[in-house]
Amino acid sequence: MKLEETIRILYDAGVEFVVIGGAAMGLQGSAHLTRDIDFCYSRTAKNMERLAKAVEPFHPVLRGAPPDLPFRFDAKTIGNGLNLTLTTDLGELDFLGEVSGLGSFQDVLSASDVKNVGGVECRVLSLEGLIKSKIAAGRPRDLYVLPELRGLNEVKKKIGLD
Amino acid sequence: MRTYIHSPMTRDQEKAVLDLVANPPPGSELAKAKEFGVDLTLFLSTLRRTPTERARSLSEGARIFQISKQSQQNEQ
Repeated sequence: MKLEETIRILYDAGVEFVVIGGAAMGLQGSAHLTRDIDFCYSRTAKNMERLAKAVEPFHPVLRGAPPDLPFRFDAKTIGNGLNLTLTTDLGELDFLGEVSGLGSFQDVLSASDVKNVGGVECRVLSLEGLIKSKIAAGRPRDLYVLPELRGLNEVKKKIGLD
Repeated sequence: MRTYIHSPMTRDQEKAVLDLVANPPPGSELAKAKEFGVDLTLFLSTLRRTPTERARSLSEGARIFQISKQSQQNEQ
């Protein structure tokens, strides 16, 4: 997966997004590793068009779907779905319309911080937001990372680090 | 040891993190994390990195994971 490159591509295309999930954990300072990159995206018509245009050149296919299943990544497909899990030339990319425990894009945006990644000012879900979403998701793998996230949040608050 | 030229932390902050991870206050989230099995010393290295360095590290970790997975599949 190409995190820095993917963020730049979405940013350059004017896509409204927030980095969430394991990638957000890593960007916030967690030692957790992840194979895919999760984003929450705004579901306005304009944003879905921009998202489709930005990702389409990287040959997106639905992850786990039969290879002969017809799939076209365009604004209509995005609009008809909510959460899209894709395999692309940039790696495994997940685009979520909402996040459990937080809500829609605007709620996720409110719970995000600005981080400079490779010269791009992008939105990354905060540690508080990550903790809320992991509690709400409630799967064993989500609950497993809570002690680390809470400890990291405590350290960053105590030393006054963004 | 790698030097992080643009570490987001000052020397005082680094020292504070070192103190906290070496001696987590009883009852704190850090103490709970340590008891859970989290290696708190990793915070020192991850917090020294800029978000860009963290992004690169994540991508490198995923690449190594993919190589390892492919190698396992080839053996089977």
